[in-house]
Amino acid sequence: MRKSIILAAALAAFTGTAQAQEFPPGPVDYVIPFGPGGESDVTARMQQPYFKALYDEELVVSYKPGGGGAVGWSQLNSMAADGSVIMGVNLPHIIVQPEQGNVGFTTDDIASVYWFHYTPDAIVVREDSPFQTLDDLIAAARETPRQVTFAGSGKGSANHLVQVKFDQLAGVETTYVAFKGTGAAVTAMLGGQVAAEWGYTTVGVGQEGKARLLAVATEERHPAFPDVPTFRELGYDIVSGAYRGIAVPSGASEETRQQVSDAIAAINRDEEFRQKMIDGGYALVDVPYGPEMDAFMAERSEEYIAAAKSAGVLN
Amino acid sequence: MLDYLIAAMSPLNILLALLGVAAGTIIGSIPGLTATMAVAVLVPVTFAMSPDSALILLGAIYTGAIYGGAYAAILLNTPGTPSAIGTTFDGYPMAKKGDGDLAVSVACLSSLVGGMVGALALLLLAPPLAEAALAFGPVEYFWLAVFGLSLIAALSTGDFLKGLIGAGLGILIAMIGISETSAEVRFTFGSNTLLGGIETVSALIGLYCVPVLMELVARPERHLEQPEQSRGFRLPEAVAIMLREKVNLLRSSVIGTLVGALPGAGGSIAGLVAYSEARRTGRGEPAYGQGNPGGIVATESANNATVGGGFIPTLVLGIPGTPPDAVILGALLVQGVRTGPTLFSEGSSIVYTFIFGLFLATLLMLPVGLLIGRFAYRAIVQAPKAGLVPVVAFMTVIGSFAIRNSLADVGVMVVLGMIGWLATRRGFSVSPIVLGLILGRIAEEAFVQSWTIGDAMGNVAGQFFGRPLSMVIIALTLLSFIYPFMPRIRQIVTRQTPLEIAERVTASPAAIARDLVGIGVMAAVAATALVQSASLNPEAAVFPRTIAIAMLVFCALAALNAVVTRHVVEDRSDGSTPRRLAVPVAMAVGVMLVPVLGFACAGIVMGLALMVCAEHERRSAGSWALLAGGVAAIILAFTLGFREILSVPLPGGRLF
Repeated sequence: MRKSIILAAALAAFTGTAQAQEFPPGPVDYVIPFGPGGESDVTARMQQPYFKALYDEELVVSYKPGGGGAVGWSQLNSMAADGSVIMGVNLPHIIVQPEQGNVGFTTDDIASVYWFHYTPDAIVVREDSPFQTLDDLIAAARETPRQVTFAGSGKGSANHLVQVKFDQLAGVETTYVAFKGTGAAVTAMLGGQVAAEWGYTTVGVGQEGKARLLAVATEERHPAFPDVPTFRELGYDIVSGAYRGIAVPSGASEETRQQVSDAIAAINRDEEFRQKMIDGGYALVDVPYGPEMDAFMAERSEEYIAAAKSAGVLN
Repeated sequence: MLDYLIAAMSPLNILLALLGVAAGTIIGSIPGLTATMAVAVLVPVTFAMSPDSALILLGAIYTGAIYGGAYAAILLNTPGTPSAIGTTFDGYPMAKKGDGDLAVSVACLSSLVGGMVGALALLLLAPPLAEAALAFGPVEYFWLAVFGLSLIAALSTGDFLKGLIGAGLGILIAMIGISETSAEVRFTFGSNTLLGGIETVSALIGLYCVPVLMELVARPERHLEQPEQSRGFRLPEAVAIMLREKVNLLRSSVIGTLVGALPGAGGSIAGLVAYSEARRTGRGEPAYGQGNPGGIVATESANNATVGGGFIPTLVLGIPGTPPDAVILGALLVQGVRTGPTLFSEGSSIVYTFIFGLFLATLLMLPVGLLIGRFAYRAIVQAPKAGLVPVVAFMTVIGSFAIRNSLADVGVMVVLGMIGWLATRRGFSVSPIVLGLILGRIAEEAFVQSWTIGDAMGNVAGQFFGRPLSMVIIALTLLSFIYPFMPRIRQIVTRQTPLEIAERVTASPAAIARDLVGIGVMAAVAATALVQSASLNPEAAVFPRTIAIAMLVFCALAALNAVVTRHVVEDRSDGSTPRRLAVPVAMAVGVMLVPVLGFACAGIVMGLALMVCAEHERRSAGSWALLAGGVAAIILAFTLGFREILSVPLPGGRLF
């Protein structure tokens, strides 16, 4: 790898293009701050072949798990800033975690350059659940406050924050039970340990025939679930989920940031990639580097921090 | 069905299964390289293959890695993967007695049977078992973790109170870092290093392996006795043991399959539960924990049964049963294979080809495992101490780095190793600490979840004690806790005068003082945790607070016990203390040099220092040079292999 960097630098010096940085400078390290097998890993793996097709360089996925992502993010800015290292970033994690205490990074430390998709929040119930519609669930929650239990992945997470927001908007009180990871939350829902799950559309894809979605938090109906209403249709203004994007070390030049952003955007434009993601239950978004990114982060921060405060995970 | 069998037996698939098992066995035998990592490394390779070949390769690696964990457990007292913890309990004592080769063969045969039972269950019973696994809720997971902890009673050598205190310490160590299920940063003392928590596998390596290395260098005698002549695989003896332990073998394989099918339990718990049951019902000499092959049979058959068992929820429910399954599931999703209920019902050919491939891989494990096992045994028995110590030490360093690509984890490993050694000296055995570390996290999560659900329903007691399945586990737990005390209870019931007390040696005042210091340190740790948890949110605080209070009570009882009975359990084996201390010091210096010199060079510096510490005889200059060259070459080869083949980003530093 080092050899190819030297080679590229030498080549650039030779041809007189040294002032314009080449992207990619060689194989690109794509660090996932979680263990393998989760959604962050799966979607990174989906991007891999398209990156290779675009640039004829490898996108090498590696893992730096720990602390719900904090271990990786706290080390991001000490990594190579020439575009040879990119890292996966997640919302609400990078906004909520630094508010909880010293986690080794602040939201502003992370140079996010693109948000490329999100897993939309959804209420998932077992196929044989008595709740046929969202209204059924709300009626039950009114009748027996707190006794409608939701499984979800993590505290202060996308699942938890949307549960708090939904309770406020619907004027009900439900109980949120935090599990470690979506897999464990799905297990609890399928096993009837809880009444429902705050999960993602991806759960609906994976559990087809075993579980149903009552509503999804997208702007428009998700193509994989044409029959499931959105929360907006039902009168609750909720568009949310777990967003995933790409960040570079803060030492990266404006040019590198833009180049990485353009690369991810180009992958997101590929029709085949889009179809694969949609079939998997993901929803694509395009928030590129620049003013759009700043506006998006400001809007999300405000919403997540308010929700986290009413959820009791922030003081 | 037959065409799937034929599809699985294509020459390419047989070759892949063979390569996979061999690679997995070698990777699994290195402490720190877990089955999860072995599978994750190979995932990109499989993208170029057809889905069924990819699955066969990944399944074969997984199977091999779980078995390979047994070598280090038996020969070095260090579980190569967490699922081999139970193998150390009897495997290492067997090796110490000169039966290491037999132990390796027993482990291989047990893994074969366990793997077969697991694969058979996957073939025939997958959908109903997946349904059954869903009946396991948070409460059941909580009690299952407690059941695992009940092994403390059996594992705390001679001092039950110290075992309980050690388990408390392990649980508190597990609480360090960001808690994902209660959104709190706990017990990090402001350190960023501790944010991600203590990595279980690197902690395991430190606690088990560093004390072994320290004891190795302290005395001149050989690590393991060398047999006078080559004895082959000792297969007839191993088969005889299998036949004698057939009930144990089948029971443990079934336990492994069932626990493997529980998402959220995993291989380490399966092995521990099977060991616990084997020990409770086991007869015969020597006792469990002192080299009874039944302990190896139980753990190794159970952990290989989790491979097939773990695929049950993975393939039927789309929920990974064990951590390596999560990786395989992710690879399948990328390949466009939809797991989940439809996969089995549509009779997809991939599933059956894969299951037959798993059978194939398990069968191939017999020749491959025996051959590699014999090589590992010979290498470790014949290696001179001054070569063995630096190489093993480097393996622990590189292994604990590779889990999260973190140098801090290596530092934590060395520190915990030191703590483990000090604790052992003071009579706190390492195994209860490890049990607490592994089971503490599961117990806490499940406890808070059960409590939240019970509270919402207004019936906390009913939630914890009222569910039929949990009642069964509670009953088994009580049995397991009480069983080690049965002889004494019988004595009391029949009003015999207990004999052992008369034989006890009264400890000297100095020994009692030493004991009180050890207990005092433990109490101080508990008190610190208690004070710190005052500032946490209730969900994050309830478990560590309960454990800390319990620990304080046990410390008080232990102190009282030491003063009143004047009976002290401690380890005062002889040997050179400076040499012992040189081990963690050399390792710590090595770790500190990594960013400067690079991984390989720092490793060589550490290795050469350890080589000098471990040598008790005089050597000629030529023989020193030869040894040093060998150690350096192995370290270099490991570094290159990790960098180039496993693509672990080992820091390069200034040199290499």
